[in-house]
Amino acid sequence: MATVTELIAALPEEDLAIGSPSAKEISDVLSRASQQPVPVGRFRRLTALGTLQAKIGAAYLFHWLRGFFKSADENKRLLAETHWKTALRMLDSMTYLRGAVMKVGQTLATFPDIAPPEFVETLQKLHFDAPPMHWSLLKEMVNNELCDDPESVFASFDKQAFAAASLGQVHGATLKSGEEVAVKIQYPGIARAVESDFRNLTLFLLPARLTKDWESTKDQFADLSRRLALEADYELEAANLRKAAALFHEEDGIVIPRVYPQWSTARVLTMERLPGIHLREYLDTHPSQEERTEVGRKILRAWYRMMYAGKMFYVDVHPGNLLMMEGGRLGVLDFGFIMPIEGEEGELFRKMDRALTTGRIEDRLAANKEWCNLRDDETDRINLHEQYADWCWRPRYCGGVFDFGNETDFREGIRLFTEMFRRRYSRARPNTPAIARCQFAWRSMLYQLKAKINIRDIAEEEVKATGWDRSEYAE
Amino acid sequence: MRITAEEKEATRQRIEAAALELFRTRGFEATTTRDIAKAAQIATGTLFNYFVAKETIVAALAEEGLAKAHATVEKQPAAETLEESLFTLVAAELRQLRPLRKFITPVLETALCPLASATQNGEASLRVRHLETVARIARAHGVAENSPVAWQVYWSLYSGVLAHWAADKSPKQEDTLALLDNSLHMFAAWLQDAAAEPL
Ligand SMILES: Nc1ncnc2c1ncn2[C@@H]1O[C@H](COP(=O)(O)OP(=O)(O)OP(=O)(O)O)[C@@H](O)[C@H]1O
Repeated sequence: MATVTELIAALPEEDLAIGSPSAKEISDVLSRASQQPVPVGRFRRLTALGTLQAKIGAAYLFHWLRGFFKSADENKRLLAETHWKTALRMLDSMTYLRGAVMKVGQTLATFPDIAPPEFVETLQKLHFDAPPMHWSLLKEMVNNELCDDPESVFASFDKQAFAAASLGQVHGATLKSGEEVAVKIQYPGIARAVESDFRNLTLFLLPARLTKDWESTKDQFADLSRRLALEADYELEAANLRKAAALFHEEDGIVIPRVYPQWSTARVLTMERLPGIHLREYLDTHPSQEERTEVGRKILRAWYRMMYAGKMFYVDVHPGNLLMMEGGRLGVLDFGFIMPIEGEEGELFRKMDRALTTGRIEDRLAANKEWCNLRDDETDRINLHEQYADWCWRPRYCGGVFDFGNETDFREGIRLFTEMFRRRYSRARPNTPAIARCQFAWRSMLYQLKAKINIRDIAEEEVKATGWDRSEYAE
Repeated sequence: MRITAEEKEATRQRIEAAALELFRTRGFEATTTRDIAKAAQIATGTLFNYFVAKETIVAALAEEGLAKAHATVEKQPAAETLEESLFTLVAAELRQLRPLRKFITPVLETALCPLASATQNGEASLRVRHLETVARIARAHGVAENSPVAWQVYWSLYSGVLAHWAADKSPKQEDTLALLDNSLHMFAAWLQDAAAEPL
């Protein structure tokens, strides 16, 4: 039976080597906290899925909590230790860890150079392993949602899931009318369960409010619960899918799966099944520079089209959500985390777009300051944000063909991004971490593709198609 | 006038159907035995020959539902794992009991009590019958467990699930499904451990 100690012991070394107290102290705390074995239950199931998930779960928590120790004095540290133990014990009992853990796994999977390669390998594979909702449970869910057994609703239904989703699993099926579909089914009540687990965890961490890093921890919780709320609602996802699908045409070579509303509910999403392979398999086929660049162009076009024409900010950019299809087409999946660009956020986006387009440093500073609530006297923070924003946006405002495969440039991005993570996004809007991550994520995919693209051209084409007049930028 | 067994059974079923309909439309509390008798077109006195109280009608309906669930499950091919087979059983029970959910609590309180007697009116109690079915399923999966501890553990989990279900406010009682899944997983793992290293 796995104990927390074992889980922690299996963490990557460098994770334990940062900041005070010493790695030894931390692992002592952890081992003392974990005298009790992890209860049999979900953890075993997690083990079946590969203990890595559990490890990452622990690592993630660890990552959050480690922050307390940096600034705390002795007393606070003791207090934090106590709460840490409690938190760990809670982690033990989080039976629904799976969803949250997978989420984290994906986030990490978009940082190919931060995590050790085999770590990322396994994480990317997590998307493809059949997760553990057994057939009987599945049948109950389908019955609850679609009022009949899967065998009766569909012409055929694969008992084995072909992919794991963050909150459930995806099964192949055929409609009675003959269409091949992907049916995404959510684990019952999982979103609420994770949400309440994390709420409880936050309660135990209250003393941490005194520390500097609390804001960021809170941000991450806020970020997670926001994602959960959005992602748990498959009806919302279906609406987003339909909205996005209307933005693309045959000649774009970008495909959004069609939704079958008769067989979709808040917990079950039935959509057209796109045949294709994921990024890693695609790269294994050794596509030419031209082909890789074309994929990159499509990724960007899809993203910009949704942003400018659809006013949809597609946040969840990661390799699992893209499919390379026959004839060079690109399939875009997973519309669970879309931020509508409207209202106050719409205003901010316009400011960001101005900065992106003009490349003027004063526009960039203004956009950053407003977006992240930075004060004028926070020079360090302002500088860091400015550097990261410049790294993100340079290929766009400079125009010309940018070599996204440039390793030095990518490493610089990693450095800045990690630094941002380390210093946290205090006082940022709740979705700032998600947006920063998203910017990084597509850069990371373009890096893996070693694409060479003029992204300004694509963006300008997309803006032009909407008829948006931006002549004021010239002022 | 002698009443045949068939006639008796028909009346019984009429009462149950009428009662269920009234419980559903009017609510359990607001329905009187007189209302039920009237709806079933019998004298109130006659009704008492069949059922001593409203709760007894619910209990009878529950018994029938459970028997139906057991019959369907036994006809199905066994699932891959013990855990899944048990899930199938309990899920089928809950499906059958669903129409009674809002007013089943008092019945469950009596039936699920670990102290409930093993027999009732000379028949094996609900608990005994459920546990026998579970034992049969376990044997089919090669688990020949019959220590009282195992059954006590199982029964605690099972009653917990049913009690939770009766009061479950989540959409379509999905939380109960999750609880059931978790509980059975725990039980199956525990059984396997117990088999590997006897206490
Ligand atoms: N329409 C589809 N056609 C083909 N494959 C699909 C389709 N929908 C989902 N999949 C497969 O299922 C996986 C998970 O689906 P999806 O990304 O929609 O789930 P999710 O719960 O939003 O997960 P996550 O947030 O983890 O990406 C995808 O990576 C893909 O492999």
